[in-house]
Amino acid sequence: MSEQKTYDVMLFKSVSYALKAEKILKAEKLPHKLIPVPKQISSDCGICLRFEHQHRLTIENTLFNKVKFEEIRQILPSAL
Amino acid sequence: MMRYEVSNMSEIKIVNATGLACPQPVVLARQAVETNEKVKVIVDNDAALENVQRLGAKLGCEVASETKAGGSIFEITLTRKAGAPFPTQDVPVSCEASAPAAGPFVIVCAEDKMGRGNDELGSVLMRAFLHTISQQKEKPDVMIFYNMGVKLTLQEAETLEDLKELAAAGVEILVCGTCLNYFEVKDKLGVGVVSNMYDIAGIMSKAGRLLTP
Repeated sequence: MSEQKTYDVMLFKSVSYALKAEKILKAEKLPHKLIPVPKQISSDCGICLRFEHQHRLTIENTLFNKVKFEEIRQILPSAL
Repeated sequence: MMRYEVSNMSEIKIVNATGLACPQPVVLARQAVETNEKVKVIVDNDAALENVQRLGAKLGCEVASETKAGGSIFEITLTRKAGAPFPTQDVPVSCEASAPAAGPFVIVCAEDKMGRGNDELGSVLMRAFLHTISQQKEKPDVMIFYNMGVKLTLQEAETLEDLKELAAAGVEILVCGTCLNYFEVKDKLGVGVVSNMYDIAGIMSKAGRLLTP
């Protein structure tokens, strides 16, 4: 993480939702990364989707009505 | 207060504990503190430094440490506080405290999945593992990839970004050449150097710690 980018993470209730969301984003070629949920955020599911803040709206719209997610949180670069 | 310090300046007991194995520095320091108001202990490793500092605190001393010779020598000055009771119980000594492991810290990825049972889950776990390793402070010295593990190092791999970050941080990444050849993906290698069994077996043999996800 050399460049200072602002990231958001999308949290899910279960791993399968996270994987489903990932498949959709992959198909749509939207940049994202599946990462373990940052330590300071608690979540039942241990993985989440991370993406640059600038893609948040596009990603939210793409997944709308397709995958249920819990919430989107902004994370600090140091939290990665 | 000042007078007390000055009058004792000439009575510093020097304990040279360099070159001594744990727990000798602590034993000597304790003996010295029992009979002297002020003791300077000289040690040459982190474990001894931590142990002597802990001893000093436990014995109710003022503890001051100095690093000498570019970080290879530590001088710890223990000053008994006036009237401080001298504890009789033993001070635990940890001989491995932060002593560096004898050989390199090696991570071996023999598969592109973490754990067995479900491939989809295993793949997610492996990605999460490598991401976490790339972000944590204590990074491995060497990472070795063989058999299906080589797939993690290819250009199209989702783990490439994390492995590149590790490589940039100085982690040596060795990828089994036989395996790249077998899968016919040598031209798709995205990170690390093509290695052979001599290097792989050699590094694994002298590893201080070897971790397989």
